[in-house]
Amino acid sequence: MKVKPVNHALAAEKFIEDVAHETFHDERLWDLRQKRDEQMHILPEWQELRTRASQIKEHTLANLPEYLEQFEANAKKNGIHVHWAADGAEHNRIVGEILEKHGVKSLIKSKSMVTEECQMREYLEPRGITVTETDLGERIQQLDNQMPSHIVVPAVHKLIPDVAKIFAEHYHTDPNDNSAQSLAWQQRLAARPVILSGDAGMTGGNFVVAETGSFVVCTNEGNADLSATVPKLHIATIGIERLVPRMADMGVFIRLLSRSALGSPITQYTTHFRGPQKGSEMHVVLVDNGRSHRLGMQDFWTSLKCIRCGACMNTCPVYRRSGGLSYGAVYSGPIGAIIDPTFNERKYSTLPFASTMNGSCTNVCPVKINIHEQLYKWRRVLAEHHELPFVKREIMHMAGKLMGQPKLYRAAINGTEVALSTMPRFVLYNWLNPWGKHRELPHPVKTTFNSWYKKNRLNKQKEGEKA
Amino acid sequence: MSSRDAILARLRDNRPDPNAHPLPPVAKLGDMDAGKARFENSLQIIGGQILEPQENDTLATAIARTFPDSKVICSAVPDFEGTIRIEDLDSPQQAASVDVLVVRSPFGIAEMGSIYLSEAQLNNLNSAAHLTQHIVVILSPKNLTANMHTAYIDRPEFHTANYGVLMSGPSATADIQGVLVRGAQGVRTLSVWWED
Repeated sequence: MKVKPVNHALAAEKFIEDVAHETFHDERLWDLRQKRDEQMHILPEWQELRTRASQIKEHTLANLPEYLEQFEANAKKNGIHVHWAADGAEHNRIVGEILEKHGVKSLIKSKSMVTEECQMREYLEPRGITVTETDLGERIQQLDNQMPSHIVVPAVHKLIPDVAKIFAEHYHTDPNDNSAQSLAWQQRLAARPVILSGDAGMTGGNFVVAETGSFVVCTNEGNADLSATVPKLHIATIGIERLVPRMADMGVFIRLLSRSALGSPITQYTTHFRGPQKGSEMHVVLVDNGRSHRLGMQDFWTSLKCIRCGACMNTCPVYRRSGGLSYGAVYSGPIGAIIDPTFNERKYSTLPFASTMNGSCTNVCPVKINIHEQLYKWRRVLAEHHELPFVKREIMHMAGKLMGQPKLYRAAINGTEVALSTMPRFVLYNWLNPWGKHRELPHPVKTTFNSWYKKNRLNKQKEGEKA
Repeated sequence: MSSRDAILARLRDNRPDPNAHPLPPVAKLGDMDAGKARFENSLQIIGGQILEPQENDTLATAIARTFPDSKVICSAVPDFEGTIRIEDLDSPQQAASVDVLVVRSPFGIAEMGSIYLSEAQLNNLNSAAHLTQHIVVILSPKNLTANMHTAYIDRPEFHTANYGVLMSGPSATADIQGVLVRGAQGVRTLSVWWED
């Protein structure tokens, strides 16, 4: 059976109907964007940092097999068990086996987009392993049975009363609690015993350093460090694109990451794992899941430079007003719209159209991914692969014909002006015109440029020639 | 073929031309001020605090004044007593009973107000830095480095420690309606005590 494309427009429409949530979402993310700008203006070397970050990442991706081998060799020397997973299923199987071997019943984990990609919780829980998300936003989403709606702030689409309701249901707290402080405290109280009795801990990894065989985790709440240091077993799940060659490169990335993400100079915790704690075991699972394939896509491989800061989401007018869940994918926003189609071209065929093409995403990207250009290129690919919906395809087809023939185009434009001023609304605004759904069509002009030019300039020119 | 070999082979087939993407040389960029004032300003921005000594103050009296309700004060340094020593905690979980952990940091970063800790300072009990309610960090201004570049290039710890954390103020979250809450799941406060 053919999978249905995500109906982003419909989901966005529903999100927009709820004015309170939509307004907060829009303003909160724009505030993050402004805080990012403040940080950028403090550093005169900002653009140089972006250029270096981009160069380091492109170099690493072009030499990825060698750097992965170097990392593996060094990590093994440090006492880390290194595993390779071709896809999500293999990742889940590897993690399941490690946990089974240690008799793990309770896994405590910090936020990791790769485990979302692999749908690891869905795999482990039927096998009798309780997986507890310890990041506050991620935990809220887990309890509410939703995907994260943002890669940095997973529950950013929720308001305080939403969280109070979820916590009341699961933590038996006051459903009318209207204080973020007190709700965050409830999470601390609920998480502590689970952390203290957890059999194994799991984290992601923001960066992997080939030279030292270490990985770096950047977080704010302290839950990742708790998950990694309290149990005797630590598993880190990391995408193979997260490599950097040298420890000295970390300076560039740490200076950019949190400033771009939240507008804070650095995450509260920047943790470097180079080997197991005394008396403990450490595993790293390197996950491909489509990345090695993406590296071969000439127009799209640089999306692998992404350091998951979310700046492109915070600045995107479409993302801010449609909410992350409307993308129906693990990765939402502009970066999601160029990554998701590599996972499933048909399912995510609508996402590259969720953009105004204003280019803001590209301008804020700390590793200089040309996001808006890739959005445009995806539209072309999807059109070539016949993944456009009927109306969009037919309109494009007609527009192509019209624009290719000047005479026909002019006749049509003159006709349009007549139509816009004379036709009843139901003819102009219907399912054949999705553009007109939330917009008014332009006011008809009295005369087109072409007919004005003919009358005023061409005629006068002819008169001049005669004279 | 193993997944490892298949992944590496696919990467070799698919990668862009390595010659077209040289690695830029390592560089120290930005403000090179490694001063105490810059560190203190950065620390305040990220929500940390300085334990300011009053007249005839010792670290012990400053802690007693700042954390009056604290019962278990755990020392990870030889020159401070506390109520228990970190060596006396037998398991990572036991550190959950600690109210205040006193530890010495080998270096701080002026740009960020961050302090560094590894297993060498925590007697291999890394959980103590996160399960304790509050942390007091002894730091010498002589051990400040200017920024993230100088830290990663000059400090040997990043190449030797198995566990190394840069703590930048206390734990924090803004996951509920964007409200910044300091004191999330790790330490609720982070204080720096200057020593010469």
